[in-house]
Amino acid sequence: MSGVSFNEAILELPMVTLTIDGKKIEAPANTHVLQVALKNGIEIPHLCYHPELSVSGGCRLCIVEVEGYSQPVPSCGLACTDGLVITTQGERLYELRKNVLDLFISDHPLDCVICEKAGACLLQEYAYEYGIKETTYTPTISSTLYQDDNPFFIRDHQYCILCGRCVRMCDEIVGVHAIDFAKRGFETNIATPYDGPMIESTCVFCGNCVQVCPTAALMPVSRKDKGREWELDHKTTICGYCGVGCQLEYALKGDEILYAQASPDGPVNGELLCTKGRYGWDFVLSPERLTRPLIRRDLAYELGLTSEPWEQPDTSPLADRQPKIEDYFIPVDWEMALDLVASRLAATVNEHDPDSVVGLASARCTNEENYLFQKFIRAGIGTNNVDHCARL
Amino acid sequence: MTLEKLERMAQRERQRQEKFERRIFCCISTACLSAGAGQTINALQEAVDACHCKENDVEVVQTGCMGLCSRGPLVRVEDKSAETLIYADVDVDLSQQIISKHVPMRKLTDESIPEEMQELRENLKKARRRKRLEKHILGMDSPFFAKQEKIVLRNVGHLDPEKIEDYLAHGGYSALRHVLQNMTAEEVCDEILRSGLRGRGGGGYPTGLKWKSMHQEESETKFVVVNGDEGDPGAYMDRTMMEDNPHQVLEGMIIAAYAVGASYGYFYIRGEYPIAVDRIRRAIRTAHRNGILGKNVLGTDFNFDAAVRIGAGAFVCGEETALIHSVEGKRGMPRMRPPYPSTSGLWGKPTIVNNVETMANVPPIINRGADWYANIGTEQSKGTKVFALAGQLTNTGLIEVPMGISLREIVYDIGDDVPGDAEFKAAQTGGPSGGCIPHEHLDTPVDYENLSKLGSIMGSGGLVIIDSTTSMPEFARFFMDFCVDESCGKCVPCRVGTIQIRILLDKIIAGSGEPEDLNKLEDLCHIVKDTSLCGLGQSAPNPVLSTLKFFLDEYIALIPAQEPA
Ligand SMILES: Cc1cc2nc3c(=O)[nH]c(=O)nc-3n(C[C@H](O)[C@H](O)[C@H](O)COP(=O)(O)O)c2cc1C
Ligand code: SF4
Ligand code: SF4
Ligand code: SF4
Ligand code: FES
Repeated sequence: MSGVSFNEAILELPMVTLTIDGKKIEAPANTHVLQVALKNGIEIPHLCYHPELSVSGGCRLCIVEVEGYSQPVPSCGLACTDGLVITTQGERLYELRKNVLDLFISDHPLDCVICEKAGACLLQEYAYEYGIKETTYTPTISSTLYQDDNPFFIRDHQYCILCGRCVRMCDEIVGVHAIDFAKRGFETNIATPYDGPMIESTCVFCGNCVQVCPTAALMPVSRKDKGREWELDHKTTICGYCGVGCQLEYALKGDEILYAQASPDGPVNGELLCTKGRYGWDFVLSPERLTRPLIRRDLAYELGLTSEPWEQPDTSPLADRQPKIEDYFIPVDWEMALDLVASRLAATVNEHDPDSVVGLASARCTNEENYLFQKFIRAGIGTNNVDHCARL
Repeated sequence: MTLEKLERMAQRERQRQEKFERRIFCCISTACLSAGAGQTINALQEAVDACHCKENDVEVVQTGCMGLCSRGPLVRVEDKSAETLIYADVDVDLSQQIISKHVPMRKLTDESIPEEMQELRENLKKARRRKRLEKHILGMDSPFFAKQEKIVLRNVGHLDPEKIEDYLAHGGYSALRHVLQNMTAEEVCDEILRSGLRGRGGGGYPTGLKWKSMHQEESETKFVVVNGDEGDPGAYMDRTMMEDNPHQVLEGMIIAAYAVGASYGYFYIRGEYPIAVDRIRRAIRTAHRNGILGKNVLGTDFNFDAAVRIGAGAFVCGEETALIHSVEGKRGMPRMRPPYPSTSGLWGKPTIVNNVETMANVPPIINRGADWYANIGTEQSKGTKVFALAGQLTNTGLIEVPMGISLREIVYDIGDDVPGDAEFKAAQTGGPSGGCIPHEHLDTPVDYENLSKLGSIMGSGGLVIIDSTTSMPEFARFFMDFCVDESCGKCVPCRVGTIQIRILLDKIIAGSGEPEDLNKLEDLCHIVKDTSLCGLGQSAPNPVLSTLKFFLDEYIALIPAQEPA
């Protein structure tokens, strides 16, 4: 069931025709009604369903009426068959969904006014749609556990609706199974084995669970207290860490990145990212980040760029001051840097021979840049000594 | 080869048993054990030893449940030259009286016996003069026994569950032999379908249909699972069957495997049943050793093997899809059906899950024929049902009755009425998933259709009798509490809905309910019933709904009168 994309399914399976809300729709046999409805622009509320994951059937919001059935059926697990006639809206469905949401809200703090997820929270969205201001039952919060035991994400159980998306993500796609449902009944929660700290579990901190969490139960540490969803700009870009080229989206407040996430329509990676892409962006605004070419101070002296001769700074821990980058390098402009590299390379090749040069490229460059680089080394310098760090 | 060996084993055991003048059976099933059957059987054996009777005079046999558990330990004396008697509440003292009454003591010269035995012999002689014994005899023609019809439990209480020879001597594995020698897999499915057997695990789905659809699945690997999770509080039909006649369940399972084309099977047994686990494992080992399991079952080209998986005692793990997850080593949580396990079960392979009692019905059906079986019971519900009769009744224990018997017969004849001054109020069937049936419906025939018409279910066989001293709202809350704790937490109507039902019940029972709370309670029950994912949530509101239906006045009485505005 999981892992089969819509397109693959289309390739392999015979097609069937079903009717959803009066509209005749062709779909591959055995794909699920919810999946097909969403593809065709028919909205059915859903919390536990996620297109990348296997079907859970736990949230009960996606119920629809099926002709010939007395009881509504969750559409996320309902296989498409020929002649199926589905109704997705109606008074009875509205009432049942509203009641189910009412039960969700009875176990959920009404913190929308202070919650950073507000605006991107699915529970909030459906509560709004179904006009639920507060629960008609007795508000009873099942767990108030707050776990910030790692530098990447916070687990705030009071907001957890136990949709199980995180569990399925970690198990089915990441393949790590660091978390699962624990305990039973109203005390059920999502936990690591024996509820140990996240760091001691098998978690690799890819954050894909955070990505698919529909509520504020899993949130990036980096955005804590830094603003609400609608204050943020989202900038789409490509991750620079490796050659896969995952599409990602930085959520920015002004110039500051608050978190990174994948966007569902990323052609390479969908909603998935690795630890580096999702959490490794703090260098962007780091004051230590290099923004200009630097040349070594001894070389600069030799070239007459500075009058100060260079001495190895005292690196002992007992030294009066610890050396800084300026003690080793001086900044120059690009023209000078490139001229210097070109002339020194030419001199080396002339004095010795091309094979005395080796070129090492970086995985952080694009394919095109790497192509040009090897061309330069092979055709320009004239050696096959060229390699690449493969990954970061 | 194998067959002849088995035949010889059966023959030898029958001859061995027939040699004895009398055989004394002591129940060592869990209920009797907890009432002291361990001491009883030791006392019986010591007393027999002390009698120094002739070699073939007497044998003390450990056996399974005889039914009237509330009066355990039970001891049955079968004597070639006297009528069979069952003694109830047999303690050490009574054991000695039984032996001194039934077993002749051989005269010996005093020097030849050790001193302790001397003393015991003296005691036995004195015991003969005591008169207490008569009061402990249970009349075999009393309604408790006479109204029952034993198919599944027929040999329970008659054989030693740890000896395969004893099962063979009682005709064991003849059904399997017949099936393997004379029937095709399809014929077996048809025979079971024709018998009208329906699943005893609660759902009542026709077993033959389930087998047939699995038989038609094309897959190299198929599995059979016997569901011995038995989560209903107070129910112990399946435990008894597994403990007291494990081979009958195993035989049923092997026949099922042959019928559906499975080559491997699992017994899923809850961890709280260590004796059942032990007996089933022992049965598997001895069956293996004797060519009944493994490669070439009974010398045919059919291969089948089985193993035990132990559950951790979650009620929901009895639900078949949760059970399958649990066997796979995952958390026992149900999933949506379809696909049904018969299409995609254990590790994605076709799998049938059948209840212990369902499996135990199979060998008798094969042995005596579908027509015979279909003659017992009602139009839609065939055969018998085993119930764990509990609650406020004079006789409680394990009973097997034909389908269609009335509740009245069970309560007043078999159960011998509510003791003391209290009166019968309701019968609760189906445990936490079932409902309460009041006095006015006592003549309802007990079968699948009629019980569900009353808002209850047949369930797996829990039957609790409630007397007039019990408050029905509190009784309903007891079962609700159970479901609140046992919900697997996957779907919101069950996880959150049940706790909100509990909160409303608490409020009403505490006397602070308002009139609209009753409507709210009923509405919520319907929401949970209609929107839950699995049978647990779908049936959890039944105890509340059925008490609201039949005992509404008790709820209303708890709501304080409203001040006039
Ligand atoms: C919550 C729940 C608990 C169940 N517990 C049991 C059980 O303890 N034993 C059992 O045989 N069936 C149990 N069942 C029924 C099984 O799901 C399944 O229907 C049954 O084992 C099928 O066997 P049968 O057709 O022989 O009855 C349970 C079902 C539900 C929904
Ligand atoms: S961060 Fe990745 S590995 Fe860790 S729990 Fe979430 S999905 Fe699993
Ligand atoms: S943490 Fe988020 S994704 Fe995981 S179960 Fe809770 S609400 Fe769902
Ligand atoms: S109905 Fe209850 S037990 Fe069944 S899946 Fe839902 S939460 Fe779990
Ligand atoms: S989306 Fe179908 S049940 Fe949650």
